[in-house]
Amino acid sequence: MSGIGVGHAAAPLLRNLYANRSTEERRAAVARSAEFFNSHPYLAGVAVGAVVRAERDEVPGAAIVRLRTALSGPLGSLGDQLVWAGEVPLVIGLALAATPWLGAWTVLMVVLVHNALRLWLTAWGLDIGLREGLGVGAALQRSWLPAVAARAQSAAAFAVGMAIPIVAWMLLRGVRASVGTGVIGCMLLGAGLTLSRFAQERMTGLRFGCALLLFATFIVGVFR
Amino acid sequence: MTLPMMVALLAWGIFVAVDLVTMPQGLFSRPLVAATVAGAIAGDVAAGLLAGIVLELYALDVLPIGASRYPDYGTASVSAGVAAALAPGDLAIGVAGLVGLPLAILGGITLHTLRRRNAVSLTRRLQRVNAGDARAIWELQRNGIARDVTRGLGLSLLGLAVVTLVARVPWDDFPRASLLNWATLAGGLSAVLAGALRSGGHGARRRWLGVGLATGLIVVLLQ
Repeated sequence: MSGIGVGHAAAPLLRNLYANRSTEERRAAVARSAEFFNSHPYLAGVAVGAVVRAERDEVPGAAIVRLRTALSGPLGSLGDQLVWAGEVPLVIGLALAATPWLGAWTVLMVVLVHNALRLWLTAWGLDIGLREGLGVGAALQRSWLPAVAARAQSAAAFAVGMAIPIVAWMLLRGVRASVGTGVIGCMLLGAGLTLSRFAQERMTGLRFGCALLLFATFIVGVFR
Repeated sequence: MTLPMMVALLAWGIFVAVDLVTMPQGLFSRPLVAATVAGAIAGDVAAGLLAGIVLELYALDVLPIGASRYPDYGTASVSAGVAAALAPGDLAIGVAGLVGLPLAILGGITLHTLRRRNAVSLTRRLQRVNAGDARAIWELQRNGIARDVTRGLGLSLLGLAVVTLVARVPWDDFPRASLLNWATLAGGLSAVLAGALRSGGHGARRRWLGVGLATGLIVVLLQ
């Protein structure tokens, strides 16, 4: 559906570009714009801009299709590193760590910060695509994106790491020492199981949590 | 729950479901956001925030890259936030987990079904798309969005039904009910720790994870 999305996003730009050309040329451009494509959604604008610029420069259709194919991998990889493994856990981790002091205001912080960054990134991607056209691949390599994508993941690791003890403290303060010890013990057990070679893909944090909850529900129900 | 409250929760649930993948992907479907707002609608922001924090621990274990299949914590968090708001104050976390975790698994299944339906729809219109029919592209977009809205509506209705049932549980009759809190919290902490260690890999990222953990511990000790 990413290819369809790019086609839909490019449609108004292509409509203007091909307003005075034949129907066959316009339809061929629309078909090219909607071919299979995959990338991180926030960086798809790079492809939209580059394709429209290439169409405007009257680059042969086959070269435009090759450009889209060539952009898929890098835009997907860079976007995943920068956003899903970087910016999102960074913002969420910082918000969780700030919650004991900022309360529900952290929710506003998450929404505002993320959407400001996201809108800026989308606009930047569209701009660089429109400016560079066929040369967008080299332009991306020269840009700030690869270096920041790598650093974003380290920043995210720090933020999430910082949030773990703070959230545990916030939710366990005031409880008996035995309860706190039990929770931390189960946390370490679950993490160990999930990461062990024995569990591999079968055990996830969610499945471990559900198993614990099921066991707790049984105890609560039986020992009334 | 009043009728305006239920309508508001349904609308929020649908928006959150669509936000996850379709649009706008503005992190409204993150548990921290979805559950807190749901709690606010239901009349208890603090309880919604607690539900959001705990479910966010599970959600941080998820990396939605490639063709991975993952739970949908969005609408599940809406239901969990409401359930926490309606539960006794000291059971907010446990009730949120009881409602939210199974609904998150179900949400993930519906997400996978949605993708397959979108693929079937695309195959049916592929010839028209390849012929450059812009209307076919618009139909695919529109129908994809409509399917996701329907998915969100279904999950939200189911979530509200579950919340209504859970709200009727006589929690006073279960003296050990606080175990649900600790089970939910322990699972969440193990999920976020395992997820951080797994995605930390080796080298710089793992070192920064260690620095973060140490920083968090120092902050806690200073309180």
